[in-house]
Amino acid sequence: MPKLGNTVEECLLAKWRKQPGEAVAAGEVIAEIETDKASFDLTAPVAGTLLAAFFNEGALVPVYTNICVIGEAGENAEAFRPSPGVPPPAPEPPAVLPAASEVAAAGAAPAPPAAPVSPPPPAKGSLSPRARRFAERHGFSPGTLSGSGPGGRVLERDIRAAYYSSPHLSSLAARYVESGYEIQAEGSGAGGLVLARDLGEPGVALSGVRARIARRMRESLASTAQYTLNASADATGLLALRGKIKAARANGATIADVNIGDMIMFCAIRTLVEMPWLNVEFSGGKLYQRSSVHIGFACDTPRGLLVPVVRASEKLTIEELAGRIRALTQQALDGSISPDDLAGGTFTVSNLGSFGIESFTPILNPPQVAVLGVDAIQLKPVRRNGGVEFVDHLGLSLTLDHQVIDGAPGARFLQALRNHVENIESLSGLRFQETLHV
Amino acid sequence: MYDLIVIGAGPGGYEAAAHAARMGKKVALAERQYVGGTCLNVGCIPTKAFLKSSKVFTECRNAAVYGVSTGDVRFDLPAVVARKNKVVGTLTRGVESMLKRAGVEIIRGHARLASRSAVSIGGETLEARNILIASGSRPAVPPIPGIDSETVLDSTAALNLTSVPDRLAIIGGGYIGLEFASFFAAVGARVTVLEMLPQIAAGTDQDIANRLQQALRKSGIEFKTSCRVTRIEGDAVRFVSQDGSETSLTADRILNSTGRAPVLADLSLEEAGVDFDSKGIRTSDQGKTNVPGVWACGDVTGRRLLAHAATREGIVAVNNMFGGKDRIRYDAIPAVIYTHPEVAGVGKTEEELRAQGIEYRKAVVPMAVAGRFLVENEGGSGTLKVLAGARHGEILGVHAIGDSSSEFIVAAAAMVEFEMCAAEARQLVFPHPTVSEALREAILELKQ
Repeated sequence: MPKLGNTVEECLLAKWRKQPGEAVAAGEVIAEIETDKASFDLTAPVAGTLLAAFFNEGALVPVYTNICVIGEAGENAEAFRPSPGVPPPAPEPPAVLPAASEVAAAGAAPAPPAAPVSPPPPAKGSLSPRARRFAERHGFSPGTLSGSGPGGRVLERDIRAAYYSSPHLSSLAARYVESGYEIQAEGSGAGGLVLARDLGEPGVALSGVRARIARRMRESLASTAQYTLNASADATGLLALRGKIKAARANGATIADVNIGDMIMFCAIRTLVEMPWLNVEFSGGKLYQRSSVHIGFACDTPRGLLVPVVRASEKLTIEELAGRIRALTQQALDGSISPDDLAGGTFTVSNLGSFGIESFTPILNPPQVAVLGVDAIQLKPVRRNGGVEFVDHLGLSLTLDHQVIDGAPGARFLQALRNHVENIESLSGLRFQETLHV
Repeated sequence: MYDLIVIGAGPGGYEAAAHAARMGKKVALAERQYVGGTCLNVGCIPTKAFLKSSKVFTECRNAAVYGVSTGDVRFDLPAVVARKNKVVGTLTRGVESMLKRAGVEIIRGHARLASRSAVSIGGETLEARNILIASGSRPAVPPIPGIDSETVLDSTAALNLTSVPDRLAIIGGGYIGLEFASFFAAVGARVTVLEMLPQIAAGTDQDIANRLQQALRKSGIEFKTSCRVTRIEGDAVRFVSQDGSETSLTADRILNSTGRAPVLADLSLEEAGVDFDSKGIRTSDQGKTNVPGVWACGDVTGRRLLAHAATREGIVAVNNMFGGKDRIRYDAIPAVIYTHPEVAGVGKTEEELRAQGIEYRKAVVPMAVAGRFLVENEGGSGTLKVLAGARHGEILGVHAIGDSSSEFIVAAAAMVEFEMCAAEARQLVFPHPTVSEALREAILELKQ
C-alpha cells in the first residue's frame, strides 16, 4: 500500500481489479484504493501473476503494508503476508477516522491510532449448536437475533420462530438478496414466496468517496450555524480585463491565460489578507487564526467533488495563481493529484457561474468558517447619468458560520470583495503595453 | 341468492364451482351443452383417446422390433370412436358426481347476464353475489371463401368421422392441427399441413418445433409452411406459397384448425357493461372483470387457451371472491403437444430469452441419456433442453420432444415457478429408471 501523501496513514482497499491467479502486466491497474479525499488506481510495478491478495475489499490498510504478491505462477507468497501486528482487515472503515485525519491535517490534534477491529463476537446473539444446525439445514441466516437463552444466546426455538415468521425467498431471490437487493414484506409467488421480481431494484451502496462527502455534508450542517449572504459586483472590469488578456495573448504577449474564475480567486485572497477574521478555523470550541491563505476550489471530476488547495496563495501573483489552479485542476481531473493537495484549506471557493446559477448556498467545509459561491454574470439595471443602464453583474454568495462570524463583519467582507472585483485591473497588477492594443 | 353462479361447465367453470362449494358457498353451475366442456367432450380427452389408439396401432404394426409377432393389424375407426365415447362418458359422469358431492347445483340451459348480480337461465332469473363467466371457446372460422363447404371439418366434427379419409388437408399447424395430423397419418391418411407462419407449433421453442416437424415429416406428413390459404373450392384448397405463386391441393377432407375463438355472444356482456373485445373478456390477474362481482376465467378471457390454465384461473377467481388472496402467474404453465412423439415445454423459450435480452446458458441432451427412454422407444429419438440464467443458474425454461415428456414436465414447472436454481435442482432425486432422468442429466450438464 503506497503512501499517497504526507498526511495519509492508511488507505481503503476499495476494489480488486485483478484476482489471484490472473496475469498482470506492468502498469496495469490491480486495485482501486481510496483515501478519505479521493480514489486512486493502484498499478502493478512489475509483470507476473497475482499470487495472493491479503486483504478483502473494504479493508483499511496501513501504508507500506503488503496487500498482494506478484510473481511467477506456483511460487509461495505466504512469506509476504503481513504479520499479525498489522490490524486485520475491517469490513467498514471506522467512522471516526476520516474526520480525525482531517483535524490532523489542520495541525490541531494528532490522529488517533487506527481503531482496533474484529473483537470476539459478544455472547448476545451467538447461536447454540442446535440453533446453528437448524440455520445451516435451512440455509437461513438470522441476522441480528436476540435469543431467549442465557445472555441472549439464540436457541433452536428462537431461530425456528424467526425462520417461520420471515418471508421465504426463492433460491433465485435469495441470491439476489446476497447481491444487495432488499427483501420486501410479501412475495407474489405461490404461498407468498418472495420471487426475484418482487425485489425491485437493489439499493446501491455509496462509493467510499461519495459516502464520505455525504457524511461530511451532514456533519457540516449539524455542527455549524450556516447562513448565506448574496450580493453582486459590477463585472465590467472583469470582462474588460479578460478581453485585454485574450487580445494580448492573441498578439503574442507572454501573459498567463488568466480567466474570470482566477480573477475572482485572486480578489478573494486579497480580501482575506485585508480581513483575516475569515481566514480562521473553528474547531473544538477554539478559534485558530491562520496566517497564510490556503485557498481551496471545488472541482467537479469523474471521481466526484474534489477540493484542491492552493497553499500560501497570498504570495502568488495573479499569473502564478492562474497557473497553479490550472495545474491542480488537471491533476484532479486525471486522478494524479496528491492527497496533500486536497487537505488543509482555510477558505473555499465554489464556482457554479458557468452553469448560469444566479445564487446558491455553498456548504461550509468545517473547520473553515466561510465559503464563497461564484454565480453567473447577469445584466442588471443601474441608475446612472439620470437614466437606467443595463450593466453586467457577477453574483456572489458567501456562506458563513454564525457561531463565529456575525452578519455585519460578513457583509463588510463581501463589500470589500465586491470593490476588488470592480477594480480588478489595478488590483491584478497586470500591465498592458499600449502597442498591444491594436 | 347464490354466493356464486358459474356460466359454463368446462375445466375452468366446474373446478371453480366445486372449489367454491367445498368452501361452503351456495353455488350454481349453468351449462347449456355438456358438463366437462370442450376439454372433456370434444377437446383434450377425446383427442388423446384417438392418439392412444393410433399409438397402439403403430406399436402393433412395429411390434416385431420389441420381439412380439402379431397377425394382421387393422384400424377400426368406429370402434375407436366408441371407445373414445366410453372414456368421455365415464369422465363426464365422474365430474357430475364430483360436483354433486361438493354440493354444486347444476342447471341445464343457456345462461346470460340479467344484471351485474343476476343470471337468467331459461326464463328464470337467479341472483348471485358473484358471477364467473367460463363460457370457453369454439373453433375459429377464418374468413376464407369456401370454408363452409361440406368437405371442411372442424376439430369437433373430426372426432366423429366414420372412416379415415384417404387424403386430409389440415389448415393450421398449431397444436390442434398437429395432433390430428399425427393421428390421421398414423392410421393411413395422406396428410398435408398448411401453416401460415414459417414455423409449426407457434410459441414452442424453435429447436424443438424444428425437431417435431422433422419427426412428423418422417412419419409421412407433408408440410407447407409460410403459406396462406386463399380459397376452398369443393375438395381443392388453393393457397399462396412463400414465393407468391398460387397452387392448390385436393383432399377428401379438409380440417380447419386455425385456432379457437372465445364464446362471447348471447351472454349480454355489453348490457352488463363488461369490458371485452374480439380476443376475449379483459381480466386482472385475480380474475376480475371491470364490473365488480363479475369474474371470468378460461378461454373466454383469451389469455391462455389451455384447460389447466382455465382451471387455475377459476380457482384464483374463487379465492379472491371469498376473501383469500391469490394471483394467476403465467410464467410456469406447461404446454404439451400430444403428437407422436410428444412435445412438452414450460417457461421461456430460447427465442423469448433472446428477444428479452436475458442472458442464459443452456444444456441440450438427447432423451436417450435416460435408459428408460431407449427401452420404451425402440428407434425413437428425443431431445431435452434446459435454459437457465447466466449468472445464478435459475431454471428459466425446459423444452422437450420425446414420449413421456408430458408426464414429467410438471417437475420442470415447479422449478420455474419456485425460481429454483440449478444448484438446488441438482439435489433432487429422480426415480431410476425413468424418462425424467433426461431432465436431471441436462441440469447436471448446465455449466456452473
